[in-house]
Formats: sequence, C-alpha cells, structure tokens
Amino acid sequence: MGFDVTRFQGEVDEELLCPICSEVLEDPLQAPSCEHAFCGGCINEWLSRQQTCPVDRQTITSSQLKSVPRILRSLLSKLYISCDNKPHGCTSVVKLDLLSSHLEECEFNPKRPVPCEQGCGLVVPKDELKDHNCLRELRSLIQNHSGKIAELQQELAENKYQLNEQKREIQLLKDFMRAMRISNPQMRAIADQMEQDEVVRWASSLARARVTRWGGMISTPDAMLQAVIRRALSESGCPPHIIDQLMENAHERRWPPGLSTLETRQMNRRHYESYVCKRVPGKQAVAVMACDNRHMNDDMLLDPGSSSKGGQDKELMLKSHITSRITGVATLLAKHDITSCLKCKCNGSVIEALKE
Amino acid sequence: MANIAIQRIKREFKEVIKSDEAQKCAINVELVGDDYRELKGEIAGPPDTPYEGATFHLEIKVPETYPFNPPKVKFLTKIWHPNISSVTGAICLDILKDQWAAAMTLRTVLLSLQALLAAAEPDDPQDAVVARQFKENHSLFLETAQYWSHVHAGASRGNSEFANKVKCLMDMGVGEHQALVALSSCNWDMERAIEQLFS
Repeated sequence: MGFDVTRFQGEVDEELLCPICSEVLEDPLQAPSCEHAFCGGCINEWLSRQQTCPVDRQTITSSQLKSVPRILRSLLSKLYISCDNKPHGCTSVVKLDLLSSHLEECEFNPKRPVPCEQGCGLVVPKDELKDHNCLRELRSLIQNHSGKIAELQQELAENKYQLNEQKREIQLLKDFMRAMRISNPQMRAIADQMEQDEVVRWASSLARARVTRWGGMISTPDAMLQAVIRRALSESGCPPHIIDQLMENAHERRWPPGLSTLETRQMNRRHYESYVCKRVPGKQAVAVMACDNRHMNDDMLLDPGSSSKGGQDKELMLKSHITSRITGVATLLAKHDITSCLKCKCNGSVIEALKE
Repeated sequence: MANIAIQRIKREFKEVIKSDEAQKCAINVELVGDDYRELKGEIAGPPDTPYEGATFHLEIKVPETYPFNPPKVKFLTKIWHPNISSVTGAICLDILKDQWAAAMTLRTVLLSLQALLAAAEPDDPQDAVVARQFKENHSLFLETAQYWSHVHAGASRGNSEFANKVKCLMDMGVGEHQALVALSSCNWDMERAIEQLFS
C-alpha cells in the first residue's frame, strides 16, 4: 500500500504510482522483464494469489522481483509529503526519503511513548496519557507479576519433584552398575575404560595454561576456595566421579611424594616446568591431570590408588590433582574475588593462560 | 471495506467520468449508495453491431479484496448475446475471472465489455441457446439481438415481423418478455414457441 497522492505537494507523475493501489510507490519492486513497478507490499500480496504481472500478465514469481532503477528511487525521494500525523496537528512537509526519520521523532505522533509524571514512572503512549491511572496500571502490573510468580513457583515445585525422582533413579542405576562391576570382571574393565575416556575427553577440552610462579601456589586451599573451584570444575564439564578426588588432591597433604615436603619440592623445582597444566575455566587455578603427564617421573605423580578413600575406589587409575590457585596480578583483581585474593600469599603473577 | 479498495475505486470512478469515452457517452458509471461497494455501469452498444444505439446497464459489485480480486459485474439490461446469460445477465469474460489483473480498472473493464459486444466468443458461451443460434443461423441471431436491443435497451430500429409475433403470443395471455424469450429461443418459429410455452 503506497502513499496517498493527496499528501504530496504539487502533481505526482503517473509513472510514480503503483498500478495496484494507485498510490505513490512505497518500497517499490519491479517485474524482471517487463519492468513494471509496484509497491513491495502490493505486488507480493498479488503474487500470493496469482503469479503474473498485474499489468501485462507475464508469468513472474516473488523471487524474481528486483529493486527499481536508481533514477526512479531518486525521483520518489525528491517528492515532498506531509507527515502521517497531520490530522494530529503536525504541519511538517518533508522529502519522502526523510519521512521515516521524521516519523520516529514527530512529537505529534499520538502513539509516542512518554513517561508518566505523576509518579508511577511507567512509559505510556501519548494518546493514552489522559486516561492513564497510575494506581490502576500498577495494580494490573502487580497482578500480572503475582500471576507469573505463582506460575513459576508451581513450575519450581514440579521441577524439584522431577529432580528428586531423577536423583533416585540415578542412584538406583549407580547401585546397579556397582553391583554389575563387582560381580563381573569384564564389566569392570569396560566401566573403568569408559570413565577413563571421559576424563581424557574433559582434560583435552580445557585450554593449556602455564604457571609462571609455582611458589605462589596455595598449598592449603581453604573450604571457600575449594567450593569456588569445585563449582568451576563442575561447570566446565568435569566428570563428576573425579571431582571429589581432584579437590582432595588440591591440598598439599595429598600431593605426590616429589612435592610432599619442602625438601623434595626444592629438589624437584626444575621439573615443574615440564608439567602440562590445564586452566580451570574462569578461575586462577590449574588442573594437572595424570593423563596429560605420563612423561613425568613417578614421584611427581600420584601413585595409582593412593588417592582412594574406600574400597570401591581403589581401582581408580587416577593420578590427578589440582596444584594451584590465585594470582595477584593487579589488572586481574577486579575480575576476581578480592577477599580470597587478599588471603593468598601471592604478590606476583602466578598463572598465565596460554591461548592455543 | 479495505482502504486500498476504496482508494482505488474512488480514483477509477473519477477516471471513468473524466475519460474521452465518457465524453462521447460510450461508457459511464454511477454510485449506488455512498460506500463505493456497489456501482452502476453503463455502456453504449458499439457501432456496426446489432447493439448499436442501445444503452446497457451493468451492476458492478466491488469485493473487499479489490483490486486483488476482480469486480463482480453483470448485465441489468436484458441482452441477446452468446457470452451473456439472457436470463440472469451473468457474463462469461476471462478478465472477470481467472485472467483478472490488478492493474485493470473500471474503465478497462467497461471497455472490455463493450469489445465483447462487438466480438462474441460463441465457443465459450454463457448462454448455450444464443450461442447455437449465433453459429447455426447467424443472420437470425443478428436480427434477434437487434430486436432485444430495441425492446430492452432503447435502440431505435425495430422489427415489425417480430413485434407482430410477440403481440400474437401476448394476445394468448403470455407476458411480453416471456413471449420474446420463447420466440428468440425457437428461431422465431411460432408453432415451436407455442409448444414450448404451453406444453
């Protein structure tokens, strides 16, 4: 649908009229070979009924329509048109190509959003302002919101219920798998392999990081720190069955023999650089995974099984631990938890993420 | 009615009124009511046809979806023509059906109908009786069409023979138009017309 001819100053050339709506072309498009031009809206409406040119009935489709020549567009843009809001008092007459930008800021637009100044702070269309009642609007807003809250609460309750159901099921499955694993050595091997593969997949999904100051590592991470890292690990997709172990092994009491005392650390210092470390996403912490560090001496890794807590975990082949945490790089401070940073002893950069 | 339809009809109405053809009284259009939904059209019978000198009135109904769909047009004036029903005035013309194009206007429709009067399409008939006569007894068709133009549409030239036959039937108590239809359909054979009327 084009622009009403009577809104234009002076005579408008017949060539600038759409043959369908008989008004001045709006967003014009033309037929491919006969080059008849129409308003974009009009011709698409017509083609949805009949795939012919409305003037000479040549077969055309929507996809064949082209934009009209520059000269036609510039002839159109030079026409002067009165504002859409003339009935509401706007006396502006603008060039057709400036109409849309004028409309955006035309203060006579009855639908222009204006803030209510009586205190509710809501933004309402100008023509609705005189019937606007802050109390009524706010009340309906509150009603709306309480409706939504009730819905969400119901959803939450449902989700909780489902979560519990699923937890129960998972527990059952775990019990079942444990039973299978214990009773059948072949199953045991398969399950171990699957778990190990999962660990390798996760480890290789993490970015490599380089620790620049091993001395800055926290050897006794406190509970809060541990909780933060645990969460980051979980969010990074760390297989749940090794999270506990990783957290356990982050403390120096569980470090491998080569790192267990000040003396051994002093002795093995030069080997630190050989560790392949992985960045714990978003945190100043690295995970050193056994699967990445087969090249290290045995005493620099955790012995198989040494990390076990109970009978069923004894077979785990994991030799992984978290060795680090925290940096004091000034520029990074803002991004991190300042209190935990103050607790740490570091005063220089510890970790530098390598972007590979 | 959709804005686009009203805009179009208003413009087309003016276009017809101001056209050269309207100046020569060949076509005309009037409003029926004031909402542009319905109009009354008028076309003059083209020269050198049995419709010469006659004026035909048309009912034009503008659909909500105009101009994406054609206007609904039918003859109000009775006419004897292969493509126009002698009973209802319904018109068989492609541009009023599947060959409609959105760029056509009231003026082009009226001119197309005038052209249809000058060039009938007996192979695509609306009125089979008329079409058969057109093909099998063309001179009688011409005379019949002319007589209908005289009786219903104000053409000056009459036909005394036909008039007598109609009168004869009217004397038997048959209505004038009924008599005209019966005689025209039976190639002006009195006996067959009587048989058709009274059997």
